[in-house]
Amino acid sequence: MSVSEILATYGDLYVQALLTTWRMTLISFVLAMLIAVVVTVMRVSPIRPLRMLGDFYVQVFRNIAGIALLIIIVYALPYLGVTLPYDICVIATTVLLGSAFGSEHFMSGINTIGVGQIEAARSIGLTFTQMLRLIVIPQALRSAVLPMTNLFIAIMLTTAIGSQVPLSPMELTGLVSYINTRSVGGIATFFISALGYVGTALVVGLVGNRIDKKARILR
Amino acid sequence: MAEDHSRKSPEGPAPIIELRQVNKYFGKLHVLNNINLKVAKGEVLVVIGPSGSGKSTMCRAINRLETIDSGEILIEGKLLPQEGKQLAQVRAELGMVFQSFNLFAHKTILDNVTMGPIEVLGMSRGDAEKRAMALLERVGVAEQASKVPAQLSGGQQQRVAIARSLAMNPKAMLFDEPTSALDPEMINEVLAVMVELAQGGMTMVVVTHEMSFARRVADRVVFMADGEILEKGSPEEFFDHPQTARAKTFLESIQGH
Repeated sequence: MSVSEILATYGDLYVQALLTTWRMTLISFVLAMLIAVVVTVMRVSPIRPLRMLGDFYVQVFRNIAGIALLIIIVYALPYLGVTLPYDICVIATTVLLGSAFGSEHFMSGINTIGVGQIEAARSIGLTFTQMLRLIVIPQALRSAVLPMTNLFIAIMLTTAIGSQVPLSPMELTGLVSYINTRSVGGIATFFISALGYVGTALVVGLVGNRIDKKARILR
Repeated sequence: MAEDHSRKSPEGPAPIIELRQVNKYFGKLHVLNNINLKVAKGEVLVVIGPSGSGKSTMCRAINRLETIDSGEILIEGKLLPQEGKQLAQVRAELGMVFQSFNLFAHKTILDNVTMGPIEVLGMSRGDAEKRAMALLERVGVAEQASKVPAQLSGGQQQRVAIARSLAMNPKAMLFDEPTSALDPEMINEVLAVMVELAQGGMTMVVVTHEMSFARRVADRVVFMADGEILEKGSPEEFFDHPQTARAKTFLESIQGH
């Protein structure tokens, strides 16, 4: 089948799949960012058990393959009495992975803040939480725009593990298997999905660059 | 700011800052060796000494940016708190100016100066900005208020840092080598602000290599070497009649500058 034939037959499904990929990516990214901030605050807190917990979280979820994590969530959690809908399983996987990497990006952002600024903040009498809120987190966020753009794209590509569970509607990669079990679509079915990913990544990259230019801190 | 221009003797009623038998080690290095020091209200104390003498460490210990291993530090007769809100409160009452300015890089000049008053003193934004603009005017950088630190010269940044400290209405100000990171032509603009502060009655502890500033402005000079205070005295006594061999060598070594 040619690209146009595939689109004629499965065009609606492709649109749905693209929207599903977008939706899962967006939800995952927002949740991953929120958790990444919390985990990073734990990792820089003066309370040792919190620091250790934060580091442990990052080490666990940064070092586990997405598909392995998905299998655990889909097949192992029910034994613990937790059975989640499939789309939630996929989002949980990408959020756990993404937040671990996101926290690492924030940490490197924090490391660019000179110890001098922290001392200055303490000298004017800011408490630890004020210092985090006013100095550390804003600067870490603003210097992490580019890595976070990359993370957004990585999260989008990771949602492809949704092809391994029965999602409804399907996301872009799952749709490829679906079509190829019904028609002889071949490489063209992959090509159309790939366009969806690449097109999105290009736009996200452009937006990220633009935000970075605005947010970047002059040093 | 205190109204009186007279200098009280260091033995006056309640010293603003007092160090009693303070010791600190970096590993085996004895960086602060039995430091005893009182700074009276309105006094300008200049600390000089060769690099590695512990003078910066002493200055930073006064608002606990450095911890100490033994001894006591008292602010207005009260023991410096170890941590938490009480420590933050004491820090808010002591201004600190650093060698490397340390302005908040993501904030405008105005926001740098208003942050403390708004967040720590609970001042309204309007009042804080009015006060900040007056202070920026006083240190001569009011027209830079909407810029960010990286757009200013070192001398301008340091003057903003002084304004940021002043905005907290401090009881005393600590200067940790405020001109050491500056190009020569910018040193005087910062020193001029400090001279004006001293003349206005501000209590100041100044770690510096600017001997002319020490001679002109200091009520008392403290000479440190190898973590110890070797000499205390008026600038005239110290510069014209140093007692210790260490101080004589030091003064000779900087004569060429």
